[in-house]
Amino acid sequence: MSYILRRLVLMLPVAFLVTVGVFMLIHLSPGDPALIILGEDRNPEAIAQVHQELGLDKPLYAQYLIWVGHIIHGDWGRSITTHEPVWNAITDRLPATLELGIAALLWSLVVAIPLGTIAAVRRGSAADRIATGVSVAGVSVPNFFIGIVLIYVLSVSARIFPFGGYVPITQDPWESLRHVILPAIALGTAGTAINMRFTRSSMIEVLNHDYIRTARAKGASWRRVVFVHALKNALIPVVTIVGLQIGGIIEGAVVTETVFTWPGVGRLAVESIFNRDYTVVQGVVLLAAFSYMLANLAVDLVYGWLDPRISYA
Amino acid sequence: MRRVALGFILVMLAAACGGGGGGGNGGGGTPKNGGTATIALESELHTLDPMDSSLLVEREVFYNMYDSLFTIDSSLAIKPGLVKTWDTSDPLNYKFTLQSGVKYHDGTPFNGASVKANIERYKTGATSRRKSDLSSVKSVEVTDDTHVIFHLGKPDSTLLATLVDRAGMMLSLDAVSKGGQNFSLAPAGAGSGPFEFVEWKRNDHLTLKKNPSYWRSGLPYLDGVTYRAIPDVNAILAALKTGDIDIARVIASKDVASLKTDSNFIYKDVPAIGFNGFELNAGTSPFNDPAKRQAVALAIDRYAILKDIQFNIGVVAYGPIPPSSWAFDSSEKIYDHADASKAKSTATGFTFTYKTTSDPVNQQLAQLMQSELSAAGITMQIQTEEFATYQQECANHQFQACGVSWSGRIDPDGNIYAWWHTGGSFNDSLYSNPQVDQWLEDARTTADQAKRKQDYDNAQKQIVQDAPYVFTTFGVSAQISDTKIHGFTLYPDLMIRMAEVWKS
Amino acid sequence: MSNAPAIVAAGTPIRRRPIALLELAQRNRGVLVGLVFVGALFLIALVSPIISPHDPIATEPDNAYLPPLSPGHVLGTDELGRDQISRVLWGARVSLPVALVAVAVGLVGGGVLGLLSGYAGGLTDLLLMRVVDALLAFPALILAIALVAALGPSLRNAMIAIGIVAIPVYARLVRAVVLQLKQMEFVMATRSLGASPIRLIVRHLIPNLMNPILVQISLSAGFAILAEAVLSFLGLGAQPPTPDWGQMITTGRTFLPNDPWLAIVPGIAISITVYSFNLLGDSLRDALDPRLRS
Repeated sequence: MSYILRRLVLMLPVAFLVTVGVFMLIHLSPGDPALIILGEDRNPEAIAQVHQELGLDKPLYAQYLIWVGHIIHGDWGRSITTHEPVWNAITDRLPATLELGIAALLWSLVVAIPLGTIAAVRRGSAADRIATGVSVAGVSVPNFFIGIVLIYVLSVSARIFPFGGYVPITQDPWESLRHVILPAIALGTAGTAINMRFTRSSMIEVLNHDYIRTARAKGASWRRVVFVHALKNALIPVVTIVGLQIGGIIEGAVVTETVFTWPGVGRLAVESIFNRDYTVVQGVVLLAAFSYMLANLAVDLVYGWLDPRISYA
Repeated sequence: MRRVALGFILVMLAAACGGGGGGGNGGGGTPKNGGTATIALESELHTLDPMDSSLLVEREVFYNMYDSLFTIDSSLAIKPGLVKTWDTSDPLNYKFTLQSGVKYHDGTPFNGASVKANIERYKTGATSRRKSDLSSVKSVEVTDDTHVIFHLGKPDSTLLATLVDRAGMMLSLDAVSKGGQNFSLAPAGAGSGPFEFVEWKRNDHLTLKKNPSYWRSGLPYLDGVTYRAIPDVNAILAALKTGDIDIARVIASKDVASLKTDSNFIYKDVPAIGFNGFELNAGTSPFNDPAKRQAVALAIDRYAILKDIQFNIGVVAYGPIPPSSWAFDSSEKIYDHADASKAKSTATGFTFTYKTTSDPVNQQLAQLMQSELSAAGITMQIQTEEFATYQQECANHQFQACGVSWSGRIDPDGNIYAWWHTGGSFNDSLYSNPQVDQWLEDARTTADQAKRKQDYDNAQKQIVQDAPYVFTTFGVSAQISDTKIHGFTLYPDLMIRMAEVWKS
Repeated sequence: MSNAPAIVAAGTPIRRRPIALLELAQRNRGVLVGLVFVGALFLIALVSPIISPHDPIATEPDNAYLPPLSPGHVLGTDELGRDQISRVLWGARVSLPVALVAVAVGLVGGGVLGLLSGYAGGLTDLLLMRVVDALLAFPALILAIALVAALGPSLRNAMIAIGIVAIPVYARLVRAVVLQLKQMEFVMATRSLGASPIRLIVRHLIPNLMNPILVQISLSAGFAILAEAVLSFLGLGAQPPTPDWGQMITTGRTFLPNDPWLAIVPGIAISITVYSFNLLGDSLRDALDPRLRS
């Protein structure tokens, strides 16, 4: 308990640094949100009016304090381009990002776990080398490139899958699946290399353990030993890396969401940077930072729980 | 993926060369009720409230949800909207007779009091961007439910055209106050137009449904319209081909030719109302020297730009007023084909920096102009900037040359006054010519169209001659759809009005 | 894309004696192949001006959209009639420096942070590590995009942004090694004898860092090239007419239906390059990890 408390306390200075960092970064970027908001309706009076509306006429430190003060009270502010509450802007798009992120993760695990297991069992064989090679290749191809090719081959030419767009799984599970498959493959392929590597190395370690040898000696079939006894234990470290990947879903999807016009948080972040939508950029980065830190903490705790040899004093 | 930069480059990307005014209505047959159409929007909306709107794509949605006091026909002539008849013989007191029996989607009546309240909201709202649109309107007097008088502080010959646009859109103020802070995100019941607001999922889609008691009887034909935000012209084309959308507002110029030959799709266009080109900063070196500005204008080959960059979609531009306008002057050809030797004898051997964005089409354009100018001994350096930075520097006069296009306004005043009147809000070039100022002011306050045209001809000739802006091309307004779409009328103002569209 | 492979590398156990790269290459085929690939890429970058049949930015509008295997243009030409193979070869001269500079920025920035933090310990360590945590918590790609938006879109700024994103990984790596060294008896002994910190760094720290850093460098070189491609894809990286692979994919994808090679060829070039670095990094890690050695 005190361990958790200590970890949470250590998060505070990090969160503080993140707020200062993102605030400075976006506010010091050249560009004037008033000009973006006004577009072809710009004139000096309107620009001054927008600056006042948004509090941009105040000194920077005051703007920062106002923002942080509101955040502490649970008020994330409103988007300066759409007036949408920032919290809603993010939570409205979160289901789309989560669905994509989880589908991508499933895709990467479906490929990685069998490949990793085979590679470990047949260590050093041609199968091992091919499996490793394929997974390293997966992390080497730019995911937007995979996305572009998938769109043109399977969507525009073959018309097997729809082009982009998102259908909530609660609304129509089948359509939702059809829409999510291509972006999930584009996004998840990079994860396969990491997950496959973890499965392989942890499997190798487990297979060297005495109890596996004992199980074999007792006459259990090799297949049963591998898939029942070994795999279960080998997946423990995989769980941790998967946990970290969940913490990184928001940022991972930035490009894929853009390519597939997926209405998620990553695309919101990019468009808000371009639009100098200060409040939204700040909100997304802060949320992503928190989810990253909490996922790290959760992973450490789960790891300690799964593997009693590790204890946190 | 590159963002499509607000309204500025849309006209560039939009497509093909059409004849004179008049957009025919697409396809024969008897209109059929039912069905829905999906339209791609190339950029995400910021607001659904005309009061704080400033994007082209927002207007596009508004015209199907809200009614304006006035409308236009396909040749830009002012037509009745919520105002049935009007009397503008007294330049300071415009008398309007309103349609009777019109109701907003929330059931509240449209009447004189509603007009007055809407105009006051636009004139005084804390976040209103309509204040300068309506600066000539002093007050609105309600005579009775169907009669209002607009009292003007000064004559304003552009007012009716302004009231076609957002400043003339009438909203149920009940719905506005019910919506409260979130009104601009979900303006339920606020309009009186052919379609009603249903929902807006930002970054994804916006849905409208048929207004069953629309005051123009028999309309609309469609049960609903869905807008999908697809912020990339290549993706828009892909979505059109996969059938995920029925209508696109813009596609890349290079893709027009192949779409035209594809029997599954319709491509048609008419001249639009904007202009393309770039600003030269007359407030600083080197372009504080008029000869250098003229040399650049002489060295640019508009026909090459039209052919190589816009794939012959649109026409070359000589001045700010496009062929779709009544004030178009076809005799204005001071700088026609590129003339490197004449440019050289005007001014040569200088260097300047041209600012643009990383959009591939803008980049290609910059490289083409660079090579054209080098033939005249002028060195053009290309500086690529991220959109927000570029926009700020151009607006704040921190540039030598800046590629900025204009989506255009219905009245010629909107294409010229703010740009080249001394201190005008779009006068990034810091151009100032008292005589031009005088012509532009005259044209603003004169009701006589022939007299106004004379003023615009004079002003245009002088501006083109002085070259604070190098005009390159005029864009088009296009119908880009699948063949199931009928009854589509092309308007030069780039807006897609869906009331009369039907689907087979 | 993520910085995730780095997490794996940070866990690599430290070996006292650095193993010579050549020796490793002899023992491990992956290392050998990786080295050959990466070497070949650098060679291509070096000689591309000589072996390219055409000027990569010379336009020839009359010869646009030539398909691959056209006379004089092995991989065809792009929308402006520029020779595709020349552009792809020259692309190596853009991508490899991106990798080098970004890695250098990360290595130097992270190295200084890690060294200070690990060496000083105490409050300095606590504070500096929170800065590193904050950088890690900042979503990497969003940080890079925001940095380039702030600095202005250009190849140089893209390299800086990617380098900054890589800082925390190196900071943690260096700090971990420093901490481990501090525990060792011989270091304590040298310190009590009054050896200068510089000497400590040169004699003990750098040799001990070599292996994990080598692994990390080749992995983050791959990451840097991918990240630069993403930034170019968003219009924030190299600007035309620079023959940059990410830029070529971005432009080329608009021609995918009719002229797919315009995007496919640079896509393959990026993939091969990143694959080479990843292969080298992965094989090095395996070769250096006693648990996994066959």
